[in-house]
Amino acid sequence: MIEPFTAPFMARALTELALLALICGPISVFVFARRLSFVSDALTHTIFPGVVIGFLAGGLEGLFAGALVAGIVTAVVLTLLTRGGRVSDDAATAVVLTAMFSIGVAMVSRRSSYTSDLTSFLFGRLLTVSPRQIAETAALVVIVLIALVAGARALLFRTFDPGGAAAAGFRVGWLDLWLNILVALVVVAAVRAVGTILVVALLIVPAAAARMVTDRLVVMAAVGTVLILGAGYGGLLLSWTASIHYGVSLTSASSVVLLLVAAYCLLIPVRLIRDRRRRTVTVPRQRSSVHELVG
Amino acid sequence: MTPALTYSAVSVGYQGTPVLTHVDLELAPGQTVALVGPNGAGKSTLIKSILGLVPVLAGAATVLGDHPAAARGRAGYVPQTDTLDADFPVSVRQVVMMGRYRRIGWWRPAGKDDRRAVSEALDRVGLAGRAGHRFGTLSGGQRQRVLLARAIASEPRLLLLDEPFNGVDAVSQDAIVRVLRDLTGSGTALVISTHDLQVARDLADLVCLINGRQWAAGPPAATLTEQNLRRTYGGSTISLADGRMVLVEP
Repeated sequence: MIEPFTAPFMARALTELALLALICGPISVFVFARRLSFVSDALTHTIFPGVVIGFLAGGLEGLFAGALVAGIVTAVVLTLLTRGGRVSDDAATAVVLTAMFSIGVAMVSRRSSYTSDLTSFLFGRLLTVSPRQIAETAALVVIVLIALVAGARALLFRTFDPGGAAAAGFRVGWLDLWLNILVALVVVAAVRAVGTILVVALLIVPAAAARMVTDRLVVMAAVGTVLILGAGYGGLLLSWTASIHYGVSLTSASSVVLLLVAAYCLLIPVRLIRDRRRRTVTVPRQRSSVHELVG
Repeated sequence: MTPALTYSAVSVGYQGTPVLTHVDLELAPGQTVALVGPNGAGKSTLIKSILGLVPVLAGAATVLGDHPAAARGRAGYVPQTDTLDADFPVSVRQVVMMGRYRRIGWWRPAGKDDRRAVSEALDRVGLAGRAGHRFGTLSGGQRQRVLLARAIASEPRLLLLDEPFNGVDAVSQDAIVRVLRDLTGSGTALVISTHDLQVARDLADLVCLINGRQWAAGPPAATLTEQNLRRTYGGSTISLADGRMVLVEP
């Protein structure tokens, strides 16, 4: 069970996933509670052209900078577009998502190694993670965790009751931008390892699975982190075992995500049992809304 | 003593378009004003303007001695409970603690004073025993009391309540009324939007009848007249045998 991780590339892959677990667990709680799954999905796609431009300009080393710039730009654009209900959240997000993704595909299709490049951008290269990549991910993890701890209360208030948070003096627009940038940074941190498509699983599935077993946000973040760690370890082990012992080529990032989804499915019955045990809440007597006055 | 609220010939609205005009109102500390009017009359817009969230387009307005935008965050606010997600994984204690977030700041953990304020606020609304429960598992009336406790925990001198008795059971209504009377007794000014004229009559020192504009304002007995109500609602009234009247909207 430990032996595969004595290989340096496996140890680096596991380290990268452990670092990502530290931020994906807590961030996924806000993505879940704010119902930002689609926005997160969009961010993973809108970063795609940045990834491609970064790659074309500086090879694999340029990928990080490209993703970072594209991530922050699209976080700002999505926040402005969806602010104040001027445009329907879903419609605006879908337009940005498809436009940016198409630009990315158009750019990458000009290269002769189109298929292999596209595959690595979409699904990542978990087993070729370099020490430099790990250092960059660690830096992003520190930034995201500090920003998350500082803003946790305000983000929680805004997520639960945007009107109440605004009335209490919090700037809801800035808080939305704050969270969108944090999600973008997580995507940037994870995109090289697990790809633009699979990173969305790390942002959505952990909290959704954790919600099956707990009603507490802090516990959800912790359970989400542990689930990613477990799926990371199990997925890498599964991928190693399949290819070494059985000659089956099983990509490591997709193994990790499949295990994460399997954990989600396994926890569904737990939620059903908890719901059944929860006592029925009696419906209070409603007051009449007739405008009645004493004459 | 600085008035909690002064509105003089005020118009409020969105993007330069007035939603509510001719608002004249002065509220002293410890006084209660009831905002009465049909759906879409501008009650919520007026509350948002007091909170500094909707601009004052014309006239002169002060909230706790400042321009509403400058006073933002100093007035307490109790939203309608049905605007909140009942499935949200947050405890009653966490919701009430939100009322302390502005005082706590970004980095400091909640201190002894904050925890005491939360406990006292929950105690005042009669829900001390529910602190650890998930907010969404409470009844509508209890949730409304939790939101009131959240506002109390912020220790406001002016408190705004948006339809606080909508969908609230009798027990919770009594508890809320008792707390509101306590608050005015200790000098907190209240602004309550309501459909319920009986509530306005029982709780308020002043009633403000609005529907696109302010139609009448003053003490309940002088303001809640058949003529003023007809002008505000545009409907008619039916006299009942026991002397009460029912307003029929057009």
